[in-house]
Amino acid sequence: MSMNERSAVLSDRRRQIYKKDTADRDADIVCDVNSVAGAMSQRGCVYNGARVVLNPITDAVHLVHGAIGCAAYTCDIRGSLSSGPETYRYSFSTDMREKDVIFGGEEKLYQALRGLIEEHRPPAVFAYSTCIVGVIGDDLRAVCKRVEEETGTIVVPVQSEGFKGNKADGYHAACDALLEIIGRSDRGADSPRAINLLGEFNLAGELWVIKNYLAELGIEVVATLTGDARVAEIMQAHTAGLNAVQCAGSMTYLAKKMQKKYGIPFVKVSFFGLDDTEEALIKIAGFFDEPALVKRAWKLCRERRAAVDRELDLYRDVLKGKRAAVYMGGAFKTLSLIKAFRDLGMEVVVAGSQTGKSEDYEEIRAEAMDGAVIIDDAGVLELVELIGEQEVDILVGGVKERPIAYKSGIGFCDFNHERKRFFSGFEGLLNFAREVHATVNSPVWAAYRKITTADRRPAIADKECRFERGDGR
Amino acid sequence: MRQIAIYGKGGIGKSTTTQNLTAALAEMGKKVMVVGCDPKADSTRLLLGGLAQKAVLDVLREEGEMIDLEDIMKVGFSGIRCVESGGPEPGVGCAGRGIITSISMLENLDAYDENLDYVFYDVLGDVVCGGFAMPIREGKAKEIYIVASGEMMAMYAANNICKGVKKYANTGGVRLGGIICNSRKVDNEEAMLKAFAEKLGSQLIQFVPRDNMVQRAEIHKKTVIQYDPSQPQADVYRSLAMNIDGNEMFVIPEPMHTDELEKLLMEYGLLD
Repeated sequence: MSMNERSAVLSDRRRQIYKKDTADRDADIVCDVNSVAGAMSQRGCVYNGARVVLNPITDAVHLVHGAIGCAAYTCDIRGSLSSGPETYRYSFSTDMREKDVIFGGEEKLYQALRGLIEEHRPPAVFAYSTCIVGVIGDDLRAVCKRVEEETGTIVVPVQSEGFKGNKADGYHAACDALLEIIGRSDRGADSPRAINLLGEFNLAGELWVIKNYLAELGIEVVATLTGDARVAEIMQAHTAGLNAVQCAGSMTYLAKKMQKKYGIPFVKVSFFGLDDTEEALIKIAGFFDEPALVKRAWKLCRERRAAVDRELDLYRDVLKGKRAAVYMGGAFKTLSLIKAFRDLGMEVVVAGSQTGKSEDYEEIRAEAMDGAVIIDDAGVLELVELIGEQEVDILVGGVKERPIAYKSGIGFCDFNHERKRFFSGFEGLLNFAREVHATVNSPVWAAYRKITTADRRPAIADKECRFERGDGR
Repeated sequence: MRQIAIYGKGGIGKSTTTQNLTAALAEMGKKVMVVGCDPKADSTRLLLGGLAQKAVLDVLREEGEMIDLEDIMKVGFSGIRCVESGGPEPGVGCAGRGIITSISMLENLDAYDENLDYVFYDVLGDVVCGGFAMPIREGKAKEIYIVASGEMMAMYAANNICKGVKKYANTGGVRLGGIICNSRKVDNEEAMLKAFAEKLGSQLIQFVPRDNMVQRAEIHKKTVIQYDPSQPQADVYRSLAMNIDGNEMFVIPEPMHTDELEKLLMEYGLLD
């Protein structure tokens, strides 16, 4: 089907959707642009982007300066775990009301900062700007500076006004905030093999899986940005020898800035899937120019693969030929999922992301099978239509995509904030395979389709009650 | 009830003119309310004999939303009801939102009594954002008078305000009732303002000559009509009141291009 025939796709959106086949193999995929009005984008706003990146810093206070909704709807949003402090799980807000808007919110922000520092004694506070603060012009930076001087606690302004752009601009705002903390303290003794993990958020404890591998190899992690992070670790992040970037969408910007400012090189890695995990470990080990270390890494990979491969075969049997749609925040995760599904004998027939860049989509295009649809910044109706058109059996995404899958009568796997089992590393793929099997092969879908294909338009008096839908079905 | 908004460049004499005008209308037996829409809250000082008024937004801030009309409305000279919107200190918050909030609050408190003949909104200098256009939105003031003088910047501001009026004229139905010239003793001022008003498609509804009596009355916290009703200047304001009361010319203004405006200044302003 050509793009023009898809009724759910607005004309302004067509160049952000691309079908990989022989016809238009070289066409550019338009991306990295603001969402089209009316397309019902699945993207979050600028503030949301900043919040999800910074929120996993466990011992920091996260204060949202704005109307209460911004804090309430992002409360405990990340699902990232802590091995210690739980301060990050609060959602503090200045709760701006009408009179705060009229008379300015700076005093309230000041009082909130002083009160929170007094009560929680955090090593740092992140103060997030929201739309209304940007409109009325509260001087967030000046208030943060004043409180920092008075209390000695680091107070970092996060310039994340919602109307400034899209979610990717929020990532930048978060990275800029991190840069204000990095470099504030030095470690006593530098380890020769020390790295930072960027864009790893410790969902369901995934960081700990990765850290165990690295510990086995004798590689130290100075700071993780930002899963299970402590402010003190982030302050020392500039002492690492290498940045390993996992969530490319949010953290490539920071990696580039750190390369420029501190001379730290970076590599893009993914710890999802057997091949990608192996590649990541070998890449990191290889950086340190110690043949013995690389050898140990190969050995570790071989052993861990062997340990899971037999059970994975059981799932490969029952998953073979199933068709998946992948719609993630960052494009690098989408790419990794394409490879992992291939390992399970499945096909990714829709691949998309909220914040992918051109180079990401080039890689996705190279990895994707012929006939796969690649989509940037998808909307609800587009996903619904693609699920039908591409005969998808499972959608992989985040909390906003879950109802789309279920209402379409197909399986769903949360590969975002709400995952409950770790998917990282060799053992993680086994968890993933179990979860995919449970949802794809669930008997509920057959029963569901039986109900939904029956006449579901009840009559009201003599009038037919119509469910009008944008896609004309 | 006629609702009227007074606009004009900052410092041109909007508040002074509005209070003298409303005093004259009250003298004619009209029932009038004045709503000051300026964070400085000095639009009713003369009618009340001093800054005796608690601003709507100050009451809101100090006492929450349980407000009685008596808390924010004071009765001044000749029964004129006086309200000050108030607002934040310079440089913080959002004064525009403050005007929206306080006018909404006046509506909720039934301040718009059906027995009123006139409601006047005295709005601060430039219409800098949406909030300052609140008085001319749908269902509010239908008439606007712009206070100007023969000074270039005052006319420039008046022309700019006409652009805003034109926008709201198409959505909210507001019309320009005329230009009030508050004289700065500029050469050939009356003729120039008359030509200016006509270029905009409107009229010069009153020429108010400069008279130190106005200043003297203000020092005594009074309008001229209160301070010395027999003064010729009091008659000027009475004339303005009569003209507005009998006005039937309401137009959508046609704002001028800057070069057009400058040409007009050259034509009337240079007498050699």
